Amino acid sequence: MPGKTTTLPRITKFTNCRIIRGNELVEQDVWIDSLSGKILRDQEAFYELHISPDEVIDLDGRILAPGLIDVQLNGAQGFDFSVPKSSKEEYDEGLRIVNKGLARTGVTSYLPTVVSSAPEVYWKVLPSLGPSGPKHRAEDGAESLGAHVEGPFISPGRNGIHKTEVLQATEEFEDVIQCYGKANISGDSKTVKMITAAPEIGSMVNHIPSLAAQGIIYSIGHSDASYEQAMNATKQGATMITHLFNAMRPFYHRNPGIFGLLGQNERPRPFYGVIADGIHLHPTSIRIAYNAHPDGLILVTDAMKLCGLPDGVYDWTNGERIVKSGARLTLEGSDKIAGSSATLIECVNNFRRWSNASTAEALNAVTATPARLLGLEGVKGTLESGADADLIVLTDALDPYSGPTLTVDQVWKRGVKIYDSGKAAVNNQL
Amino acid sequence: MRVIIRENVLEASEYIADYIISRIKSFKPTENQPFVLGLPTGSSPEIIYKTLVRHHRAGDISFKNVVTFNMDEYVGLPRDHPESYHSFMYKHFFSHVDIPPQNIHILDGNAPDLAAECASFEAKIARYGGIELFLGGVGPDGHIAFNEPGSSLSSRTRVKTLAYDTILANSRFFGGDLDKVPRMALTVGIQTVMEAREVVIVATGAHKALAVEKGLEGGVNHMWTLSALQLHQHPLIVCDRDATLELKVKTVRYFEAIEQSGTDARTQGPPLVYRPRTYVPAPVGVSKFHQQPTPASTPPRVPKDLKINTQLNQTMDEEELTPDSMSSRMVDSAISGLDSTLKGDMMFDRMGTRVISH
Repeated sequence: MPGKTTTLPRITKFTNCRIIRGNELVEQDVWIDSLSGKILRDQEAFYELHISPDEVIDLDGRILAPGLIDVQLNGAQGFDFSVPKSSKEEYDEGLRIVNKGLARTGVTSYLPTVVSSAPEVYWKVLPSLGPSGPKHRAEDGAESLGAHVEGPFISPGRNGIHKTEVLQATEEFEDVIQCYGKANISGDSKTVKMITAAPEIGSMVNHIPSLAAQGIIYSIGHSDASYEQAMNATKQGATMITHLFNAMRPFYHRNPGIFGLLGQNERPRPFYGVIADGIHLHPTSIRIAYNAHPDGLILVTDAMKLCGLPDGVYDWTNGERIVKSGARLTLEGSDKIAGSSATLIECVNNFRRWSNASTAEALNAVTATPARLLGLEGVKGTLESGADADLIVLTDALDPYSGPTLTVDQVWKRGVKIYDSGKAAVNNQL
Repeated sequence: MRVIIRENVLEASEYIADYIISRIKSFKPTENQPFVLGLPTGSSPEIIYKTLVRHHRAGDISFKNVVTFNMDEYVGLPRDHPESYHSFMYKHFFSHVDIPPQNIHILDGNAPDLAAECASFEAKIARYGGIELFLGGVGPDGHIAFNEPGSSLSSRTRVKTLAYDTILANSRFFGGDLDKVPRMALTVGIQTVMEAREVVIVATGAHKALAVEKGLEGGVNHMWTLSALQLHQHPLIVCDRDATLELKVKTVRYFEAIEQSGTDARTQGPPLVYRPRTYVPAPVGVSKFHQQPTPASTPPRVPKDLKINTQLNQTMDEEELTPDSMSSRMVDSAISGLDSTLKGDMMFDRMGTRVISH
């Protein structure tokens, strides 16, 4: 039989596991093919090709979920996507370490996010951050689905910790092209997947259709837009809000601002990112947003390179420094929150505890929903047959301190196991 | 006839699962001498499959050397349609056990030549030396497989038009849309089932009670195809208490007494004989000649006009009349027993007759 010659089992069947269907978990087997890296149309393979699994993994009732997707992540493992290295090789090497480290946390695909920077920085780093595509190998770990450029066309008053000196206001679409580099935002090999920009700055709102035509997601964020300006942006093609509530005009009852997009029925409600790290947002704020528009909520980490490092003061971009104390990161000399150091699965756990969302709903916010935003339905964020075999095995246990907690036991990328926490699965016990 | 009565569906299913496992085990199947098992679909079998899967997971039984033949499949429904019997079998049984896919035989309702598909199915059964044990369910109108009331008791695998009742009943699986329910099915014939060395029928629920009564206490009749089993050497019917509601108390007690006297059905099966695996040509083609012995001089008297002509049935002369199923003739189909009791004509021994005789 083909595939028997390789050391890896070709067809793996997961059994005795719970998977997401809609908003609930159901018991169902999943078959994957390590050769194609896809989830098998198992019934068809069984009857048509007479395929039976080479390996059966009994998950003992654990959850089998699609690999997590993070659409806003600034760096990890001490590596910052926004800081160019002396050579592209050195930068790519750092990226490889991030990808491997990230995969161990259950994130199998993501949008590497670059904060507001000078054009030279974009020209240098973006060519490395484009979609990994089919050349991505399982052992490389997490894969990029394209870069997320957060800025520099943002509101100087809602800059968060983005350096004001590098912020820009567009006049012509040419300015946007000039800033990121033509090859990065147009054509088949473009590297940018998502842009966060303030629609009210310069003529940005007029450029949304051009970006959308390139297949780039326009996300409203770091913006002082009024409700009307935000509505106008969605009319032009904006489909996302970057870290809702943070770095935007607060909700005001006479003008609900960007947050108001979640309550209106005039236009399709946009997707919105939420940082559920317990620091950026009050749990109730998250619950209000979720109740208003459950189908659009996407959990993001907005994590940066200090994630996982000890407390202390660390150098950041543009010569500034960041103070890390526990999970809290602030810009030195201010109270401004400087990104997060939570992992995505921690955000899922927080969100599940705070929102009363079911386990499946909480996981959808980091799988199916971001896949829908990115136009990758049926490819990522799902266990439907034909999708990429990016999977994670989760244990759902009651933590005495924090309550129900999901932990990542195994990570599979394109049909190959790349991480195992050591909790051995029982093999071949069909 | 062996009849086993259990208190509820679960116990009845458990009994059958245990029975099948014990039959397979004592057969000691090997790759060259596999155990050939006939299988049904439906709600009662579903619980049996669940039980078999549980035993398989516990390591009690392997299906590595089991060959299966399924009773029926819809015509024209895509194989991977959720309501196809391929999907049913995959979902409830095959995907959970270690049966090799090549050991599985299910009729292909999308074959270009359906008659040839049926003939080759019979030939495959013959090549394996026949079916060792045929597990089946029974319809409320007494049908086994898709052998609706009125099916020939000597029928073989063929195309059948579904009775209107069956289409109505099945429409619930197709979003209530009658137009989506397939009109035809491929099914093994009564003769195909009768040729199995052993036939095990599961009948659970009050709505099966009349079928059990007609099949067990009535005469052999093509309107209740289950009754054909009265002519089989080793039939076993496993009921739950509800399915016996229409039986005479005497009948129930008789079968219970047999079981209580220690003659366990599990020890009463047919001897496990190994027939030589010789190729027997499909009987379908042969029956064509057997069925036409009518002399040419009397053609007007042959009720040929009763035949339903389906274009798909090119080579088989076996097409039968498919009337509405039996339940449609009963005043109330939900609990048919009650209404027939009121009508009186179904009563086997009315109290009134006994009063008068005193």
